[in-house]
Amino acid sequence: MNIQFKKGVLEICVLSVLAHKDCYGYELVNEISKQIDISEGTIYPLLRRLKDEGYVTTYLQESVEGPPRKYYLLTESGRKEEHELKEEWMRFTTAVNALLVGKNDAAE
Amino acid sequence: MLQNEQEYIRILTDRLSGTLAVEDLEDLLSDYREHFRIGKANGRSEAELFCSLGSPDEAAREIRATHLVKKAEHTCSCGNIFHAIAATLGLGLFNLVFVLAPFLVLVVLLLVVFLVGVAFTVFGPAAFVYAILQILGSPSFSIWLSPVAGLFFSVGMTAIGILLVIGDFYLARFFYHMGIRYLKWNIHMITGTGCAQ
Repeated sequence: MNIQFKKGVLEICVLSVLAHKDCYGYELVNEISKQIDISEGTIYPLLRRLKDEGYVTTYLQESVEGPPRKYYLLTESGRKEEHELKEEWMRFTTAVNALLVGKNDAAE
Repeated sequence: MLQNEQEYIRILTDRLSGTLAVEDLEDLLSDYREHFRIGKANGRSEAELFCSLGSPDEAAREIRATHLVKKAEHTCSCGNIFHAIAATLGLGLFNLVFVLAPFLVLVVLLLVVFLVGVAFTVFGPAAFVYAILQILGSPSFSIWLSPVAGLFFSVGMTAIGILLVIGDFYLARFFYHMGIRYLKWNIHMITGTGCAQ
């Protein structure tokens, strides 16, 4: 997939991973890079932006091994944003899929 | 180039220390340090972690651009928007086309409207005085076919000139806010190359 295209959807990916559970940075990066091949370093700037915009907050939690970890948590407005972006994404992909399938049908 | 945690942190610090506040920078660095720490605890090497993080220069450029656009949003000034645009240009060559070109077009447009407005505002009263002199019969050379029409015309011209200058101010403010929104979107969408290996 085009790398520019991927970065655009990174925000939805981060929000929806966080909608399932609170994550620490490394965990979040891992969840996403399991599915999408990206420069992992760009997730941290994105998290900062989401925090600035009030979609996520952070808290520290002790871990079994080593010092406490910084966890990211969706706020109420973050949940709303996640929901809206997801709806939008679903509508968009459904429409694109319909077009792609339609085009193939016409070619046959 | 070394590919370890120290080098990654060094590059980020080097690129961002003049821009971000000290505590913001420390907060950011702590995220990356934590990433390396947990990664290593999971048995990955520093070089491996460095590589999958991608270029620290690129991350720094993005953080810088985001920060400067935010600053320009909070405090409207020519200097701030200039820095924000310059930082966004650094994100990719094609932003010469997608950021610099539209910016220059808008600046020229604003300048032209301003200059026309000023010219009308200055020329209007001058033409008004000239029309009066012409009615009094003093100048031998007449610029107005009808000096009375000239009076009204020059008043209209002045009014339009003043409106243009005021309108230009609002137009500039409108472009400023649109520009900020566009830059945010631009930074959000644009990315460069991944790992240098």
